[in-house]
Amino acid sequence: MQSEMKIDMPAQHKKMSLKAIVRDAGIGIALLVLILIFSITTEHFLAPNNITNILTQITINLILAVGLTFVILIAGIDLSVGSVLAFACVVAGKVITIEGLDANTAIFLAVIASLLAGTLCGLLNGLISAYWGLPSFIITLGMLNIARGGALHISEAQTIYSFPEQFNDFGSASLFGIPVVFLVALLLVGIAGFVLHKTVFGRMIYGIGNNEEAVRLAGHPVFWYKVMAYTICGLMAGIAGIVYMARLNISSPIAGIGFELNAIAAVIIGGTSLMGGRGSVYGTLLGAFIIGVLANGLILLGLNDFMRQMITGVVIIVAVVLDHYREKMTTGS
Amino acid sequence: MLAASIETLATSKENNDSRILSVKNLCKNFGGVKALQGVNFDLVKGETHALVGENGAGKSTLTKILTGVYHYDDGDIILKDNIYKPNSPKSAKQSGIQVVHQEFNLLTYLSIAENICFESLPKTKLGTLDKKKMHQRARLAMDTVGLGDIEVTTKISELGIAHRQLVEIARALEFKSDILILDEPTATLTQREVEKLFTILEKIKHSGVTVVFISHHLNEVFNICDRVTIFRNGKTITTKEIKDTNPQDVVSLMVGKALEQVMAQQSNQKHFGSIALEVKNLVIPQSPNAEGINFCVRKGEIVGIAGLVGAGRTEILRTIFALQEKISGQVLIDGLPVEFKNPRDAVNARLAFVTEDRKDEGLILDMSIATNSSLASISQVSNAGLMDFEKENQLAADFAKKLGLRFGKLKDNVASLSGGNQQKVVLAKWLSTNPKLLMLDEPTRGVDVGAKAEIYSILRSLALDGMALIVVSSELPELMTLCDRILVLSNHQVTGELEQQSFSQEEILQLAYKNM
Repeated sequence: MQSEMKIDMPAQHKKMSLKAIVRDAGIGIALLVLILIFSITTEHFLAPNNITNILTQITINLILAVGLTFVILIAGIDLSVGSVLAFACVVAGKVITIEGLDANTAIFLAVIASLLAGTLCGLLNGLISAYWGLPSFIITLGMLNIARGGALHISEAQTIYSFPEQFNDFGSASLFGIPVVFLVALLLVGIAGFVLHKTVFGRMIYGIGNNEEAVRLAGHPVFWYKVMAYTICGLMAGIAGIVYMARLNISSPIAGIGFELNAIAAVIIGGTSLMGGRGSVYGTLLGAFIIGVLANGLILLGLNDFMRQMITGVVIIVAVVLDHYREKMTTGS
Repeated sequence: MLAASIETLATSKENNDSRILSVKNLCKNFGGVKALQGVNFDLVKGETHALVGENGAGKSTLTKILTGVYHYDDGDIILKDNIYKPNSPKSAKQSGIQVVHQEFNLLTYLSIAENICFESLPKTKLGTLDKKKMHQRARLAMDTVGLGDIEVTTKISELGIAHRQLVEIARALEFKSDILILDEPTATLTQREVEKLFTILEKIKHSGVTVVFISHHLNEVFNICDRVTIFRNGKTITTKEIKDTNPQDVVSLMVGKALEQVMAQQSNQKHFGSIALEVKNLVIPQSPNAEGINFCVRKGEIVGIAGLVGAGRTEILRTIFALQEKISGQVLIDGLPVEFKNPRDAVNARLAFVTEDRKDEGLILDMSIATNSSLASISQVSNAGLMDFEKENQLAADFAKKLGLRFGKLKDNVASLSGGNQQKVVLAKWLSTNPKLLMLDEPTRGVDVGAKAEIYSILRSLALDGMALIVVSSELPELMTLCDRILVLSNHQVTGELEQQSFSQEEILQLAYKNM
């Protein structure tokens, strides 16, 4: 939490202690080390087109992880984001391929449909788990199946393709070598950071994660704040759905299988506590980079799929263990 | 230490002296806090001996020393002619001292038999669990507590509170014990269950077990005990034969005449306004059949609520603040009836509630002083949902100054503050909402003496400014110092209401014990 308070209050920025710097920069240092290792050991890691590659590859995971940051900050979890991505993607695919619509209208409606589909799933997750006070792990596990089944049903298990050209172009467009979809993700990180650190809503998210009862007793509608967190997470999955579609030019009911785990990993590596109340979306950004850089670098090193999976697993565990010590160091206990 | 354990092991031989345990001049310090400073009493074999005293008088510390949880610093304990110095709960048990704690120590999802035999599960030759033997032993133990008709394979989770209490006792008895300590065994029981427990205790007593009975309920003490030892401030005052004394005397001995009564307020300064809060016929779920509770608080007045633990003091405050639902009755604020659905409604009606549990309900420990100070008044330090950090810091700084908060920086986590300063942050949180009615539950728990006095003077000055206050406290001197009027609860009923000029500890305690 300390790190956020510092971002919150520029006036107090100057007095950041050395310990706090190590704590806040810890993930950044790890990322730099990774980049350094891959730049030395591989030939093409720093090549412009490889960098573009990495940015494109982390986009979807980053968007999902931004949404998950809200949910994990209130000590919840959302296992359904991968399936919700597919559901939103399929819904949008159906809308965009409606015959007789002109391209712009079709794209507009598809985007709206995708965001609505995602938001609805998130809203349901939030309402059900917050109303009955049930573990979000189970509720969102149910939603994982519902959304996946829904996606398969709507699409009759078929991949949908042949979208308007402008739409496909957007998915592969870039600005100064930076993919536009990545810029969209970056914008979302910025907005989420603003919401979490500068608004009353953000304050409440941290408060609920730390001590829900104290927030409730202070007269705040904890229920709605929790529902909002899940809804935002669903909305992000919806956005990820449309981005997925634009990037791959298909809309597939089996998109996003297992994506929730990578997104959770990005949030946790980024220093957000699974117990809630501590962490930041900027950490999540770095966490997504670490996962993306690692995946890319290991491919360049010529490691096979299995090796890569093992190493990624090790990194997740190491990150959490290191974070545990970093936290101990800063609280001084 | 080793010598002591050898000696305790050698104590199994029968001895004829009727005195089974004697405690002489026992002392125990926790850091600078003197928990026990000269405890003397003895137990006669086969008697039922009561230990009474106010909260914090030293009864639980003594229990924990006898059962090997704490070591004692000074003094002697002689158990059956040998020095007794248990170094673990296990060695205490081996010496024949068993305790049934106030809170349950049962494994909810295991069977009665498994719970009863848990400490020494019988094994077969192959080393597997000997279920037959286990069930046999458990049945025997359950017979002693009069629950022979309950199947020992029943899970604890299927039992009611009273039966759980009895299973605890059965477990203690299963392990052959000479001395059985019962710490508030009747706190969770109904009258009928209490009677049943007493019949069983009578039986246990006849089998030669010495029973130590710790209770707040003097009528129970006078009902079943042979002797009573009175504790006050970590010392034993005296031991009396029950037949030679009466409850009034015991209460006076518990309280002590010497306690100074600081009457800080000057009564001529006081000015009470109109009625800020009125509670009419309030019935709460914890005691659905009780008569309704009635009281009112005027502006500028501090009303105290006294009573024993479990008398319903906290629950009344929590009901007013809509943290629990009421069964019936009415709450009026400024003469108008209100129906709060949740704490939000209560806060909006300008009620404030400093809860008993600072860490779990009052503060967000890992967030800053500024964040905590503005938690209930966040709309004052934000615009259209956007935080105004400058305003927030200003608000926190203002209240820190007003309340004399000692802190490093406003962005420090409240966890870094002392108990007294944490409580001031809780006060800042509520005072920033400018409440009409401030309710405080144990406002100085875990607060050092200096900060206590500061908090008293803050509360007094709030009353002078016209705020209505309700204070619940287990410390009678605190209520008598602070309040203009004290309401006494006993078993969820108002048993008395005292004006300042007639405050007396004896009277309050007697009213508090009235319905027990």
